[in-house]
Amino acid sequence: MNLLRSKSAEPLWKEEFSVHTSDERYVSRRQFSKFLVLTSAAMFVGNLWILVKSWLTRKPVYPEALIANLSDVPVAGVKLFNYPTPDDHCILVRLAADRVVAYSQKCTHLSCAVYYSAERKQLLCPCHNGSFSAEDGSVIAGPPPRPLPKIEIETRGDQLIARGVETNARG
Amino acid sequence: MFGYEFYIDPSRCIGCRSCLQACEECETHRGHSMINFDFIDREEGIQSAAYVCWHCDEPTCAQVCPADAIKKGEDGVVHSSLKPRCIACNNCVLACPFGIPKMWEPEQQMMKCDMCYDRTSIGKRPMCATVCPSQALAYVRPEDIAHRREKPSNTFVFGNQTITTKVYMMVPEPAQAVIIDAADYIWEARR
Amino acid sequence: MAKLPVSDQQLIELFGPHLNFQPPGGWKDESVHPPEKLVKTHCCFCGQQCGIQLKVRDNTIIGFEPWEEFPFNRGMLCPKGVKRYLQSSHPDRLLDPLLRTDSGFRKATWDESLDFTVRRIREIQEKYGRDAVAMYGGASLSTEKSYLVGKFARLALGTRHVDYNGRLCMVSAGTAYKLAFGIDRSTIPWSEIPKAQVLFVIGANIGDCAPITTDYIWRCRDNGGRLIIADPRITPIARNADLFLPVRPGTDLALLLAMLHVIIRDNMVDRDFVEKYTTGFDQVAASVRDWDPRRAAEITGVPPDAIEKAAHWFGESERAIAMHARGLEHHSKGVENCSAVINLCLATGKIGREGCGPTMITGQGNGQGGREHGQKCDQLPGQRHIADPAAREHVARVWGIRPDELPQAGYTAVEIMNAIHAGEIKALLCLCFNPLVSLPDSNFTREALSRLEYFGVIDFFMSETARQADVVFAGSLHEEEDGLGCSAEGRVIHWQKSVDPPANARADSAILIDLAQRLGRGQYFQFEDKDALLNELREASRGGVADYYGITYDRVDSEHGVFWPCPSLDHPGTPVLFTDRKFYHPDGKAHFMLAEWRPSGDPIAADYPVFLTTGRVVSQYLSGTQTRRIGALVEQYPEPRVEIHPRLAEQHGIVNNDWVRVTTRRDDVTLQALVVKTIRPDTVFIPYHWPGIRSANRLTHRTLDPRSKIPEFKVSACRIEKVSGPESSPDSRPAHANATEGR
Repeated sequence: MNLLRSKSAEPLWKEEFSVHTSDERYVSRRQFSKFLVLTSAAMFVGNLWILVKSWLTRKPVYPEALIANLSDVPVAGVKLFNYPTPDDHCILVRLAADRVVAYSQKCTHLSCAVYYSAERKQLLCPCHNGSFSAEDGSVIAGPPPRPLPKIEIETRGDQLIARGVETNARG
Repeated sequence: MFGYEFYIDPSRCIGCRSCLQACEECETHRGHSMINFDFIDREEGIQSAAYVCWHCDEPTCAQVCPADAIKKGEDGVVHSSLKPRCIACNNCVLACPFGIPKMWEPEQQMMKCDMCYDRTSIGKRPMCATVCPSQALAYVRPEDIAHRREKPSNTFVFGNQTITTKVYMMVPEPAQAVIIDAADYIWEARR
Repeated sequence: MAKLPVSDQQLIELFGPHLNFQPPGGWKDESVHPPEKLVKTHCCFCGQQCGIQLKVRDNTIIGFEPWEEFPFNRGMLCPKGVKRYLQSSHPDRLLDPLLRTDSGFRKATWDESLDFTVRRIREIQEKYGRDAVAMYGGASLSTEKSYLVGKFARLALGTRHVDYNGRLCMVSAGTAYKLAFGIDRSTIPWSEIPKAQVLFVIGANIGDCAPITTDYIWRCRDNGGRLIIADPRITPIARNADLFLPVRPGTDLALLLAMLHVIIRDNMVDRDFVEKYTTGFDQVAASVRDWDPRRAAEITGVPPDAIEKAAHWFGESERAIAMHARGLEHHSKGVENCSAVINLCLATGKIGREGCGPTMITGQGNGQGGREHGQKCDQLPGQRHIADPAAREHVARVWGIRPDELPQAGYTAVEIMNAIHAGEIKALLCLCFNPLVSLPDSNFTREALSRLEYFGVIDFFMSETARQADVVFAGSLHEEEDGLGCSAEGRVIHWQKSVDPPANARADSAILIDLAQRLGRGQYFQFEDKDALLNELREASRGGVADYYGITYDRVDSEHGVFWPCPSLDHPGTPVLFTDRKFYHPDGKAHFMLAEWRPSGDPIAADYPVFLTTGRVVSQYLSGTQTRRIGALVEQYPEPRVEIHPRLAEQHGIVNNDWVRVTTRRDDVTLQALVVKTIRPDTVFIPYHWPGIRSANRLTHRTLDPRSKIPEFKVSACRIEKVSGPESSPDSRPAHANATEGR
């Protein structure tokens, strides 16, 4: 302590317990209570703001993107793509001749990349053995808490077009 | 009040004790008079003196308070002890070189002149200086006191302790000793 | 009436004095119930008439606030003014009329007590004549009430005997100033005092009796002025005197004559002024030819060189003021004393210009206003003389009577008491006066009052005098009636009403008007509205010396007072008199008045070798009826003490606080000694505010000044001796009124 304090004629106790109100760093209970209440109130208001904002916000609009040609994907075949941004890794699976599904490749557990197992018709996560149904993305087994987000695919002739990301209800 | 100072001139005091009576009429300490009033030596003479707290720059009472209960505000007024903190130890009463703080035993609190804070904080003058008929206690601007023959002084030396105060004492220019026995004036005494 | 049916002690228990220490509701009440309004009014006590504001809530006075804008005192107050508000809401307050019974007093209705009074007065007047009834008024009544008292006594009672307690105060000065100038008023406002170069203060204990004047005197000294004080005691202001003259009691005239002698001898007379504006100088100059300072020194005990110095300072200065109060005037040569002071000012031309003039310091609250409009036995409104035919014509016309219906002059206050004692006057109606404490020789007064066949008193407390009465009417305090007053400087001021009289107490003026109606003279006392009484006063005083015609309540409020004479509504008032060098005599000149030496009325003798002088203390007022009921003031100076110089005390083996018996030719009083060097060694001093066995007026004598009829309070002959203890007392100490908090 003494190393940090500059030399002065006044003894320490006079500075610490100054008799002058102008030197006081004293915070009264009232001041402190006010501070707490105001800060809490600010946070509350902030939360309200977020809530209101979410009510007022429209569903996001996603761009259309050409993923692949149907003819390039064999049955039980897989195509990896990025949608809607280059950082969103997705996986497209052709389950049957006329059935194509696509999901986000990020496992809902800890975001490992899932892969397709044709025998089991499941999307498997190698990290913790989580498995998702290829039909609808729901969780079959393992730690993932939520189904895989679905990518809406439209088949236009031979083209496979990604239309958007399905917003999940809680599941 | 900004720009106003308190001046005490005992040479003007006529001993009426109007200050003492008016002091207990102010709001801050209603019913308790904080003025110190004395006849210096009534047998020898009629000299009287009334004093308020001197509101020292470094108040001794505050320095010795073990409970940090006495505070001097930014306007220079030293207040009575803070009631939640005061433990009625009487340290301040003993320490003050002027003998100003008074301990009110029933209320267990030190009270003293606070320059009628309820009045001076809103631009009025303290009770004692307002009513004093001889203006021995005066609360005026320095330029209003300048015409007096006595001059203001606020430095007191008590042994090794030199004290400077907010309240000024009016000090006479060097004067000769004044006879104050009526008998010394009568003709028979001088013949 | 005859001996009291109940002892004093029992009456004190019932009616006080009890001490009031706290405002109604206690000290803390005001923070919880703040005042509704501040009423700008004036102090009810002395003639300084300081401005003060009273805090009022719910028709109750709860405190005071200084009134800094009022120019005379600028917020300053003495302790009596500070604590004055405690007299309201007082437990001793009389709330109903009281009638005497065999066992004390009983409450009565107003009808009963007023009708009883009317019946007795009629019976007595029928039997003994109209002048068998006398009336006492007082100098703390408003100007309107003093006017009403004069009119009531002459028109309703039909007596010539009306006088007031100012007879014990201002009449010496009044007579002297009237003789010299034709007008009885302070010649200057107080604002002139700081302008003087020399202040000659004689017989005035300003620090104790007119404290606010102290600041004016100190400011005069700040400006370089010099202070000369003549007093047998070193009073608080005498401590700062540049020249202190310790006059032996009763010898002021010798000092003044010697001063005039020196002024003439050393060519300090303003010949020009004396020639042009005065008469009578030569006769007066001849009369002081033999008054050299040495002769005066023999008589006064003031060294001759001090007398020379005083005369030179006064005479050589450009501007000088001479101020005097009861110390100079309470003498059997009080008029001569004041004339001598006036002569000094006239001889040196110190009048009617800046920083100059003689002035009396009026002592009582409305001592000035109360001596202007007919409350005195020889006076009519406007300071007119009752014998003057023109004055009688004018006033009779205003009052709607024939001049011959107006009585001629009657007896003065002490003479009335003498006449009561002698059986000439049988009935007395008394308000605003406590003669049992205030008149000299109180044993005589008590005996006289016991001989009355009817005695009625209007008062707000049971004063010592009221205890002797047959009827006590519950009257009003200063703050309960609206009215004008006139301060010591001649400033007419407004006493604003703050609260109503409590319970069944009534305004004094309402009581008098009611009595007048019941006496069958109501047609002369019709006042339709609150301005009517003043308007009649203005008419009645119009054209007189004390001309109030231009004075209205609005003017007084907006101008912070108006100085009379004020003959018309657009006249600004007259603060400084004689600026035009015109005086109020028919010849327009000031008159030098002869002042010849004679000794005092109670001479020193072998068995009465010590001078006794009486006076006041700052915390008590007059007979103490009000101030002895206020706890803080009683604590400041609880009991009268006899001041004795150590040399005199030593001769009698007395030390401080010893019990001392002071004996005069009338009676003796036993008090504790205050041994101090601030009094002449041949003199003792006793303050007179206390009654009964502590009353200084048991000792004083009834010698009067032959012209003013003022008693000689300031000099008696006594002897002192040490005794072992106090007299066993029928009076007891006053009890606490507030039992809640001790002090």
